[in-house]
Amino acid sequence: MNTRVFASMGLLISVTLLLEARAQTLPAVSGKTVAASKGWTAPKTPWGDPDLQGTWTSDDCIGTPMQRPANIGERLYLTELEIAERETQLARQTENDKQEFLAADTRAGVGPPPHWGERARRPCRQTSLVVDPPNGRIPDLTAEARTRRIPEGAGNNNPRPASWEDFSYYIRCITRGVTGSIFPVIYGNGAQIIQAPGFVTILHEMVHEARVIPLDGSPHSSPNIRTYMGDARGHWDGNTLVIETTNFLGNKTGLGLNGGGTPTSDALKLTERYTRTDANTIQYEVTIDDPKTYVRPWKVAFPITQEPGYQNFEYACHEGNYAMFDSLSGARAEEKRETR
Amino acid sequence: MRRRFTTLIIVLGFAMPALGQTQASRIPRMPDGKPNLTGLWQALGTAYWDIRDHSAQAGPFYQLGAIGAIPGGQGIVENGDIPYKPEAAAKQKQNFTDRMKLDPEVKCYMPGVPRATYMPYPFQIIQSQNDIAIAYEYATSNRVINMGKRREAAVDTWMGTSNGHWESDTLVVDVTGLNGQSWFDRSGNFMTENVHIVERYRLADPDHMSYEATIDDSAIFTRPWKISLPLYRRKEQNAQLGEFKCVEFAEELIYGHLRKR
Repeated sequence: MNTRVFASMGLLISVTLLLEARAQTLPAVSGKTVAASKGWTAPKTPWGDPDLQGTWTSDDCIGTPMQRPANIGERLYLTELEIAERETQLARQTENDKQEFLAADTRAGVGPPPHWGERARRPCRQTSLVVDPPNGRIPDLTAEARTRRIPEGAGNNNPRPASWEDFSYYIRCITRGVTGSIFPVIYGNGAQIIQAPGFVTILHEMVHEARVIPLDGSPHSSPNIRTYMGDARGHWDGNTLVIETTNFLGNKTGLGLNGGGTPTSDALKLTERYTRTDANTIQYEVTIDDPKTYVRPWKVAFPITQEPGYQNFEYACHEGNYAMFDSLSGARAEEKRETR
Repeated sequence: MRRRFTTLIIVLGFAMPALGQTQASRIPRMPDGKPNLTGLWQALGTAYWDIRDHSAQAGPFYQLGAIGAIPGGQGIVENGDIPYKPEAAAKQKQNFTDRMKLDPEVKCYMPGVPRATYMPYPFQIIQSQNDIAIAYEYATSNRVINMGKRREAAVDTWMGTSNGHWESDTLVVDVTGLNGQSWFDRSGNFMTENVHIVERYRLADPDHMSYEATIDDSAIFTRPWKISLPLYRRKEQNAQLGEFKCVEFAEELIYGHLRKR
């Protein structure tokens, strides 16, 4: 049973990658001061910190483009008509997902059934995940950043991977980076927040990340200690959890979905804000400042929500990475066949 | 001199019982009075090599010299040896022989429970008013101890399904749904997917915690058995959980034969 689950996971990862390679061209969000809903009081922990605990998902913004299409200009939110269309689309998708078997004339692929994916439950109101600059477009890369090598996705752009190093850090089950761990993708968007006096931890299901964020006001660790997920320090700004993260390894993951795209540099500084706006919603916002990679800072924001019954599961990615083994052995087998 | 001696006795007389009394009350507590286990913890000792008493010996790679040698040390198994059934004892010996190929730690796989507890890496406990998270430095593995209504394991996993409750000042964690692929140490001591583990965490004082785990796996053991060891709070001024994403250190080993030549 385990083998089958792991193999399916591997496949799902590959499919995710394929889909996301396509989705990567999209973007957008808010930037305004986030206000709590009227008539609702932000809960506190018994030791007096704002209480953000729960399992949250960015599912509702699945499919919302990262960058806003140019023809939408500076309009951050969908129109009522567009939201209605999106609702219809989601309802149709729900119906499709209920089908247990494919229709007789459907061409079956090798991917998992559609209902394995996670779905938005209600329309994300934004036209893009990028909310700043106002046009919802990612700022230009620096000249040097443009020369950085981008590891391939699932191998779909490179059917003959020479080694595992031709794959992204996500496909290698190493990490998706901080932003890649929370930006919405087609499944595995769960983030469980658990707080203790002096600490917040965020457990991301996919690739089983655990961010432990001290709130004690201590300085960042030595710049000689660098990591994929960076060195995080948090503090409260009213009811908002602010997390500043530095000390990243350079040239690893990027800011695209699942940590794809141009790798960021060792100068990257992320400032995230988690604000609970009602019982089941947190407004998430991240300011990306990486002067070695982008010509100006930019900001992504979107809501994350708590859904009844949503739960994180163990994501033993590397342990079941049959996709990596199969891609490499397939490539070697093809080479062998050709030289015959 | 005599007066100083008398003073000493008086001081000791007051201090001694007070020490005993304050151990339990001195520990950090949550607002509701439960012990607060939050912090960065680590085991000392050499149980990560072998949970049984073991002598020092050469490591598998002579090129590493003394760095790669295995330090001897006391085990953490209570009352002697692990009660393997005969076939299981043979399998453990084979595991040891083939350990560079079979030990999940070599491949950077998740460590499972209880192995994660006494690996040579720290782990961070984050205790809320409800659930308790444990983030282990090794392989960024982690787990959540559900303190609410009992939740059965939905599927078997590396880190298992943990349900916890308090018995006085002891955190008791019932671990089920382990996939049986984890080992106990680098010496091939193993378990099966039938294993059931009950852990007990108790603060002895603010900086020391006693850890016990009862292991029940009737498929390979003749009776339940127990490990116990102290855990130490990391006290360095800048102590914090590090990141040890070891996958990339194991890729050449796992996939190297599939690299393009």
